[in-house]
Amino acid sequence: MAAQTEVLAGFDHAHRPARVSMRGWLIRGLALLPVLALVFVLPAQSDDWTNDAIYAAIFAMVGLSMNVLVGYTGQISLGQQAFLGIGALTAANVVNTGTNAPDPFTFAIGIVAGVLVSAGAAAVLGAIALRIRGLYLALVTLVFGSVTADAIFTISSLNGQDAGVPAYRPTSLQGNFAFYVFALAMVAICIYVDVWIRRSKVGRGLIALRDNELVASAFGINVLGYKLLGFVVSGAMAGLAGGVYAFWSQEFSDKNFTSSAGFSLALIFVVMAVVGGLGSRAGVIAAASFFALIDPLFTGFAHHTGWLNWYTDHKAYIQNLVGAVLLLQTVIFNPGGLGQVLRPFTRWFSGKPFSLHDAGDAAGAALGGGDSVRA
Amino acid sequence: MHVVADTFSPQLHLVTPLISGLADGAAYGLFGLGLVLLYKSNRIFNFAQGEFATVAAIVAFLFDRGVGWVPKVPYFIAITFGVLAAVLVAMATERLVIRPLFHRPRVVLVVATVGVALFLVGVEGLLPYPQTASLRTISDALGVRSYLTQVDGVVVLDQDVAKLIVLAVLAVLAFLFFRYTHTGTAILAVSQDATAARVVGISVERVSMATWAIAGFLGGVAGVLLAVPPSGSVTPGAFTGLTLVVAFSAAVLGGMTSLPGAFVGGILIGLINAFANADHSFVPGLNSLPTSQAEVAVALVLLLVLLVRPRGLLGREA
Amino acid sequence: MSVLEVHDLTIRFGGLVAIDNLSLTVNEWEIVGLMGPNGAGKTTAFNCITGFYKPNAGRVMYRGSDVTRVPPHRKAAMGMGRTFQNVGMVKSETVLENLLTAQHTKAGYGAFKALAGVSAVRHREKELAAHADAILELLGLTAFRDRQLGSLSYGTLKLLELGCALASDPDLLLLDEPSSGMGPEESHELGERLLALRQALGVTMLLIEHHVPLVTAVCDYVYVLNFGKLLAEGDPDHVRNHPEVVAAYLGGEAPEELEQTEAPAEQAAAVGELSDDLAGTTGAGSSTRRRSGLRRSPRKEAS
Repeated sequence: MAAQTEVLAGFDHAHRPARVSMRGWLIRGLALLPVLALVFVLPAQSDDWTNDAIYAAIFAMVGLSMNVLVGYTGQISLGQQAFLGIGALTAANVVNTGTNAPDPFTFAIGIVAGVLVSAGAAAVLGAIALRIRGLYLALVTLVFGSVTADAIFTISSLNGQDAGVPAYRPTSLQGNFAFYVFALAMVAICIYVDVWIRRSKVGRGLIALRDNELVASAFGINVLGYKLLGFVVSGAMAGLAGGVYAFWSQEFSDKNFTSSAGFSLALIFVVMAVVGGLGSRAGVIAAASFFALIDPLFTGFAHHTGWLNWYTDHKAYIQNLVGAVLLLQTVIFNPGGLGQVLRPFTRWFSGKPFSLHDAGDAAGAALGGGDSVRA
Repeated sequence: MHVVADTFSPQLHLVTPLISGLADGAAYGLFGLGLVLLYKSNRIFNFAQGEFATVAAIVAFLFDRGVGWVPKVPYFIAITFGVLAAVLVAMATERLVIRPLFHRPRVVLVVATVGVALFLVGVEGLLPYPQTASLRTISDALGVRSYLTQVDGVVVLDQDVAKLIVLAVLAVLAFLFFRYTHTGTAILAVSQDATAARVVGISVERVSMATWAIAGFLGGVAGVLLAVPPSGSVTPGAFTGLTLVVAFSAAVLGGMTSLPGAFVGGILIGLINAFANADHSFVPGLNSLPTSQAEVAVALVLLLVLLVRPRGLLGREA
Repeated sequence: MSVLEVHDLTIRFGGLVAIDNLSLTVNEWEIVGLMGPNGAGKTTAFNCITGFYKPNAGRVMYRGSDVTRVPPHRKAAMGMGRTFQNVGMVKSETVLENLLTAQHTKAGYGAFKALAGVSAVRHREKELAAHADAILELLGLTAFRDRQLGSLSYGTLKLLELGCALASDPDLLLLDEPSSGMGPEESHELGERLLALRQALGVTMLLIEHHVPLVTAVCDYVYVLNFGKLLAEGDPDHVRNHPEVVAAYLGGEAPEELEQTEAPAEQAAAVGELSDDLAGTTGAGSSTRRRSGLRRSPRKEAS
């Protein structure tokens, strides 16, 4: 151990891999171009594609919110669609300007209000969740999701009855592409927060309590407070996604969140988080986008192969099947999910040498070491 | 209790929903039993339990009607095929999904059963058959009257009587099975203490397969009993939501580890549904509430109980 | 003022009295041992002291203030570090990340600042990493810096856990069987290390330990528990030859470890006398407390 001979003061950089050269970064920058093309160029090809891409961005935010709650904090949630709905409901009602476009300021207030109210609702669920774990938590979040939908979203003064609450975009974001750029900026905020969760004591605290609450509190982590924080941050991200959702569909309608529609959303969110690889930012974003785009992708495919009618009739079931197969193959064969597959690339992009061998990271740790269901 | 005097008849408004609630609730109780059995034996919560029931109902329907290339067979054989299909699906789930994940954290297994449920719903949905139809009732199949009208205006669906008879027979069979067969006692042993059971030479893996088969059987029976008119159907995913509601009340009552708690939980849900949906509910206000809000109220009560007593009302502490 | 005082601690689980009227004291700079056969209640006592269990009766005093009801994470923030019998670390993280997690209470920035990624957080994170590296260096674990915990041997994990406990600059360290899974030589090294750590960092320690040579080598004072009751206390030599302790262990485990050579006994006795003189403690009989309040004799340290 040559390293041991070094003086105490010098170690900060002693064991880091050699810095990447300018050329290295240039190559990485070039390699990033296809990804950028996928994110910026492809959606610009048609208005429909832009529209689908916005939906993918919304799902990406929900995926990141699941990543915080399920991936880092280790709390299972079958009620995440409630936060999306609360964010959308709040934003639409705060901004509600009838048929006129809101000014940007009102719009911003609406989005922020959606985030705050959703975070508050998540705090309530979190406070309940502090007492329970495992299976009970799953059932309670499930009930929370459906109770929220049935009790709040059906209030006629809030849901605009059959017409829904209109949520027109401000003039500057009227066009789909402009709104898409706005949605991407919101995704960027979520990614930024996720990055800093992971780089600071917050993420370490959440992961520690996910692995072992006793150890976490011996390390001085306030387990109850951090669990609550995990719920609040996750709820805030989902609420942000909800605000964007409302202005994407330009209305809030309770039908998208109540009963079976809400339940299938909840399941998709769990499935995409697991398939993406819990704890893996890139994997969850990729999986979330995929699940958001299943329908347009399959519709396009069915259109070209003449199966369109059959597909349209069986849409929901086909999506179920795709989700189920991906989920089962992930948990059985590839617990790290998509994140595990992408990891060599994400590591390389972050400046580490390219290696298929997974040295440092614990892929699928949330699934591998998470809190087991106890009675 | 406030009672609307001029329209209230104890027979019609109390006894009728009571009996239909008990009958449906007892079938719901089978869901609860299957769930709790699996949960007790290896701490797995099976999200696919409701789909075992749907599979049974659909297969029974296909054979009873002779849909597509499926041969039409007599009603009771069709029912048997349905239940058998549920058992096979449950055993396949155990072999292909549960066993490879047996030593992983339980939350992985829960997620995996969600996957199984989604998979089954997807496959069911792609089958070409009339998905909103329902299975024939036993009385239909036997060609007897569809109502038994007894003394003093108590209206009883004979389908409900059939349900209760089937369940009584099942209860006796279950008692004999768990009391006198090797597999039955082994399952109980594993559910009480898996390590100790292993020590005395019980193969936990084999017992796991048997437990899943029984869970499939219970789900299948519930499915063919419930997928009938007036409210049941053979729709893909028909029973998953219901099973979750039953599971929740079973968890509230028995902490997911009490077989009686699960059964009582099922009956409770059956009664709540029957009284909430009765044409003239005797509880003022209940029938004027939209169903969703009645459900919200029930869910909130259950939630509250779970928070006060996280191990359930009948569950033992620590 | 003592670092830690436990007064008449009692905890029951159902009908079972796991700890019955336990009192103990740990003074500044001492290394105090807690011994006893399996199931004697040592870890339960730890859990009461660190706040994981709420005792039914009794008080836990930390530097003069009553901390009986203070939750574990706040005790950690107050300077009580602990380790676990079966290695308590974050399994899914790397060695470095564990050492960073262990410095949670010292991070010195709020959670919301962290989410915003302000520059103070960036700066502080660098310092925490430097401190983690310093601890790795101190324990000779630098080579494992970026390894997953799953790939490390049990002995390395135990050592790393000690490092995690040290990372938060504890004032009082509670170690639950630090030498478990170690051979005699490793355990001897551990003893040296503990003494050196006290020398370097001035940390006071309470340790649960089965390994008698280690207890003899490092402890200033020993308490022996059996069936939740205090069976004996005193300096290691006194306790080791205590007839009831011997009986308890013969009924329990590892009697051969008790039949150690005589040399340590002489040394221990010498230390005991020395400490009596220096601490000015007086008293007669075996129940009289003889506190050293000192490092072991130089001879001892060199061994």
